Amino acid sequence: MPLLEVMGVTKEFGGLTANWEVSFSLEENEAVGLIGPNGAGKTTLFNCIAGHFPVTSGRIIFNGRDITALKAHEVARLGLARTFQIFQAAGDLRVTENVMVGAFMRTASRREARSKAEAWLEFLEIGQAGQAMMTELPVAMQKRVALATALATEPKLLLLDEVAAGLNRSEIETIIPTLRRLHEEKGIALLLTEHVLEMVLALSHRVIVLESGRKIAEGHPEAVMKDPEVIRAYLGDHFIKRQREAQNA
Amino acid sequence: MEAVKNALDFSDFPRLDLTVAGLVLAFLLVFPALPHSGFAMATMIQFLMFSLYGMGWNTIGGYAGQVDLGKAQYNGIGAYTTAVMMVRWDAPFWVSMPVGLLFSIMWSFIIGYPLFRLKGHYFAIATIATSLVLKDVFESWDFVGAARGLAIPIRANLPDFLYLQFRHDYYYYYILLALFLLGILYLNAFRHSRLGYQLRAIKDNEDVAKSLGIDAHWCKIKAYAVATAYVSVVGSFHACYNFNIEPEDVMSLDLSVLIAMMALLGGAGSLWGPIIGAAILVPLKSYLGDWLGAESGLTGLNLVIYGVIIMVIAGAQPRGVWGMVEAVRARRRGGHAAA
Repeated sequence: MPLLEVMGVTKEFGGLTANWEVSFSLEENEAVGLIGPNGAGKTTLFNCIAGHFPVTSGRIIFNGRDITALKAHEVARLGLARTFQIFQAAGDLRVTENVMVGAFMRTASRREARSKAEAWLEFLEIGQAGQAMMTELPVAMQKRVALATALATEPKLLLLDEVAAGLNRSEIETIIPTLRRLHEEKGIALLLTEHVLEMVLALSHRVIVLESGRKIAEGHPEAVMKDPEVIRAYLGDHFIKRQREAQNA
Repeated sequence: MEAVKNALDFSDFPRLDLTVAGLVLAFLLVFPALPHSGFAMATMIQFLMFSLYGMGWNTIGGYAGQVDLGKAQYNGIGAYTTAVMMVRWDAPFWVSMPVGLLFSIMWSFIIGYPLFRLKGHYFAIATIATSLVLKDVFESWDFVGAARGLAIPIRANLPDFLYLQFRHDYYYYYILLALFLLGILYLNAFRHSRLGYQLRAIKDNEDVAKSLGIDAHWCKIKAYAVATAYVSVVGSFHACYNFNIEPEDVMSLDLSVLIAMMALLGGAGSLWGPIIGAAILVPLKSYLGDWLGAESGLTGLNLVIYGVIIMVIAGAQPRGVWGMVEAVRARRRGGHAAA
């Protein structure tokens, strides 16, 4: 039985179709990349899965339960965590306290929440920043704190929305092994959207490609990247034409 | 058990804060023994009352960031429950106060449920509206004395601890001081509690909070009930302290605004903020109002002065006086880190 099953999900905003009949599934302990050009509907699909938006039609099954109609906090409590693309630094809370908010989903004890938060900060190699205010940290650190907060809810599946956005090359290179370790050591399934394809290819067992809200390809990362449909979606028709001309010449 | 430990845990404050808090506490304890005027005593009582109102407001307005401008309605429910029960059934304060608390909390759930579907300014306006409607109801309700209000009969033997009637103000003062200390301890436990953390997460970003399993709507309703409890208890006390209550007095819009203003001035979302706000605004309100009104005939100018203060604070540091203190400290910390 798959951990997550998305079945024919359509999401419309007024007359605009953001997702159309999208179906895919994700096994326990699998890492799947969700890619596509800007405006392909990746974040909308995340919001539908995580319960932030109600779907127009279709069903979503998580861990054997129909979560289609559940609210975001109910979905989270079932073990589906997510990070946000646009992350706003927190105002009143210190780093450790911020992560504790995640841990408080599973415990009411401050002591327990604190020790869990500290463990996750250690795991993500930012243990030294515990007493800082969020606003005092560089973006890469803030992203790790947000990641730690989501992880502190002890999820089975983590949706990562553009973790690499706003990071420089060396920061991206350091977060990839961290995420791999997370996946391999903690056994957390990952569903990630990303513009930085290098990261998707490095982490995913399987890739799903969205374009204009529809799924246009799915499969092994390298195979998908050679799919002419996918190349067209990313680079446009004339690129394909030119490529063909080059081959013929 | 952990709640008690949390209530007594002030370890996240620097020693300077705790020293100042200790000195203030010492002053508050000995104040009645120092030479003072009746007016000063009345002002101190007002200070303690407004500190408690502000602490309550701080749970929903500060930690949860939901600007509530309708706290006077709960002051009214507390005050009226106590007054009606004393006048009609001769019930002591210690019976009527918990009953009033119960009514207030029930009412807070009834209006909190729909109100928290609203956000930001809409929520603030809706809280004003419910409070004004309730005041209108009390003004035309004969059972509670309508617009004339109610007068609590004076007991035969004073001091009377059951009915909170005393000849000297220092009795009221010490009872309020005990409530004030309890209020601080409760708020300290509150900010360390799961709910306290969750509310701050909601204030930062509600969508992120929801993704962490937080039922934002229900958390706000709970915080609103806590805020209500503070205000209602002080309302019951207010009835005994004033003897006479009327809707214009105990549930006016002015009161709601003043409660929010003090907490915002001192620093919403911090433990000391509402107390600092009350310490600044209450004496200003008493002395300035008295002096301007009685001696210079400039009644109303004090309102202009509050307005200016609020504008300056809101422009310079939206997190109030305490925000300024924190900003200075953050700059110092930053300086150390760089050095």
